[in-house]
Amino acid sequence: MDEKQKRYEKIDFLGEGQFATVYKAKDVVTGDIVAVKKIKVGTRTEAADGINRTALREIKLLQELHHENIIGLLDVFGQRSNVSLVFDFMDTDLEIVIKDNKVVLTPGHIKSYTVQTLQGLEYLHQHWILHRDMKPNNLLINEQGVLKLGDFGLAKFYGSPTRIYTHQVVTRWYRCPELLFGARQYGTGVDIWAVGCILAELLLRVPFLPGESDLDQLSRIFQVLGTPSDEDWPGLKALPDYIQFKQFPATPLKEIFIAASDDLLDLMSQLLKMDPLARCSTTEALKMPYFSNRPPPTPGPQLPKPSTASQKDEAEKEQKSLKRKIQMESSGASLAKRLVF
Amino acid sequence: MFLITLSQRHMVKVASYFGNEIVYAKHVQAEIVYADNDLKEAKVDTSEKFKFSGASYCVDLLFIKGSGSCPECGTALRRSNFRVQLFEDPYIEKEVDIRKRILRDFNKKEEDFSTLEEFNDYLEMIETIVFNLTNNIDVEETKKMIEQYRKENKEQIQKGKSKLSKDEEYLDQLIEQEQMETEYRRKLIVEEEQREKAIKKKNKEALIDELMYSERSAKDILSTHKADIENQPPESTVPRQAATAFSTGIKLLSMIIMKKFLQGMQQGFMPIPQEEYVESYRYSPIHMELEGPDPPTHEEILTQGYLSNIRSATDQEKGGGYDSYLACQRAMLDAVCGLFYVPDTFGGGSSKNQT
Repeated sequence: MDEKQKRYEKIDFLGEGQFATVYKAKDVVTGDIVAVKKIKVGTRTEAADGINRTALREIKLLQELHHENIIGLLDVFGQRSNVSLVFDFMDTDLEIVIKDNKVVLTPGHIKSYTVQTLQGLEYLHQHWILHRDMKPNNLLINEQGVLKLGDFGLAKFYGSPTRIYTHQVVTRWYRCPELLFGARQYGTGVDIWAVGCILAELLLRVPFLPGESDLDQLSRIFQVLGTPSDEDWPGLKALPDYIQFKQFPATPLKEIFIAASDDLLDLMSQLLKMDPLARCSTTEALKMPYFSNRPPPTPGPQLPKPSTASQKDEAEKEQKSLKRKIQMESSGASLAKRLVF
Repeated sequence: MFLITLSQRHMVKVASYFGNEIVYAKHVQAEIVYADNDLKEAKVDTSEKFKFSGASYCVDLLFIKGSGSCPECGTALRRSNFRVQLFEDPYIEKEVDIRKRILRDFNKKEEDFSTLEEFNDYLEMIETIVFNLTNNIDVEETKKMIEQYRKENKEQIQKGKSKLSKDEEYLDQLIEQEQMETEYRRKLIVEEEQREKAIKKKNKEALIDELMYSERSAKDILSTHKADIENQPPESTVPRQAATAFSTGIKLLSMIIMKKFLQGMQQGFMPIPQEEYVESYRYSPIHMELEGPDPPTHEEILTQGYLSNIRSATDQEKGGGYDSYLACQRAMLDAVCGLFYVPDTFGGGSSKNQT
């Protein structure tokens, strides 16, 4: 173990979440730059429970997943009760790209990000794993413009006929209607919906459905896409937390995304179908004309790079705060660490 | 050396030894808290006084990781919330800080109001809030009011953040104009100097020519030449007048437009990236190493009775996006996966036996 610890030379402090501290480090053996995520021990009671749950999920799943568009877990090492995960070093993430006003996103760029996201997700879904926290912040991008899905702290196997799942997953803005209605059994639709929201955000450059509460989130969804009826979504009324909503008419997507091409809007309407069983799968999405039509997805190295380091720092700060909020929500973590100003 | 001390009221006081530079923390309900320079006692909001409890910590040490918890009350603190005091008077520092924070949300512009009076009322409201917070008057109520405003005007605030006010736009324009003007003037001066040089040269040459070929006396020629040069209308005054005319601001805008247009003509409007031919995307399925027989296809599962062996999904499950097909497909994949797997450890001989 000591050897492994010495293998990674700390270069820089990158950031801190609720469960971990992330450092930029150099792999002395290969010379590669890596990110070392040191899981916090937390309190004594937490430590008594053993390894942190999110860390365990990441280790368990990522060890077996190998895909260009999924973050690579290179190594895991521990010392005493502490565990550190070694990941590919990623320069930025999609949230920073979207928020950087200096970056111009062309249709080719947007296609490239979407293709890469869906490819990573297709691989995940094919291996019976749901990511359950798809959002721009978790789509990491390296210097070569390769996008990788990151943060597998909420990921879980799906497709079991008996297992009950929590519906308190996925950051609210990217959460699909069935989760908001309290579904305990769900499938790949939860990730697909989030991709739809991310695609919309790439076009708008602001979050598509920024709900302030779970209820507000639902009403925002219905205001834009129309309140679903029984025919649109069979089984809707059987969902645990179902409540009747006011009837909103659907706004045509063309009116919201005036600059988007028709093939893109086709894709988006498939990704954002109310009925999760009618929502397309990743494979179906990737086969849609949007992706094969011109313009082609921009090759990675030509994708925009967020400008200055200072902006990056700012964005990181913001992103951290956002992340904390979600984790608080999803896992009901100890409130003591919350900062109130 | 930075020092940090803490009080019972979940407040943090941070002070520094360095001259007047005081570092302070915003921490839970703590207002701006600071310490006297001699560090004998710390003040809270000028009225309350606390003795230093002897518990002093180095901020640098505490935040070695970017964050740390308050050594006495355990509340988490972040280094990014610490900063150096700008104004000598902490009251002003506090006021400026609060104002900055308030104006971030209260960012309506004059254009957003229909009458001047409404706008003035709005400004007055901001002042009241800032004053209240700075002097600890009705803090809770004021905070509630801010929160309510924030909720009610969320979209407006978002919009306001990205929008420049008319004043700012005008200022930007002015700055641009000024820059252009100075550039233009510099260019004129250079041109003028060149022209003057050329004239001098011409005069000199003419003088020498005349001295060489004329039959008049040299002295005579020199004196007439001198008079000629003096009488010569200074050509350069014309552009100089033009420059002053421009600097009065008239026609400046049209000039800027012209200049931009010319720049556009010269440089091309955008750096056009090298047009490389990029292949269109073509879907290729992911290959899965199953090490087993092929599982039944989508159609086969649906048509050949596989589903009868699995509990059919309830309405609730279907509504949530779960279908018995999913479970069936996964079960079939699990069943066939790895059937042909031969562990390496058995070596060549045993694998032969198995096949």
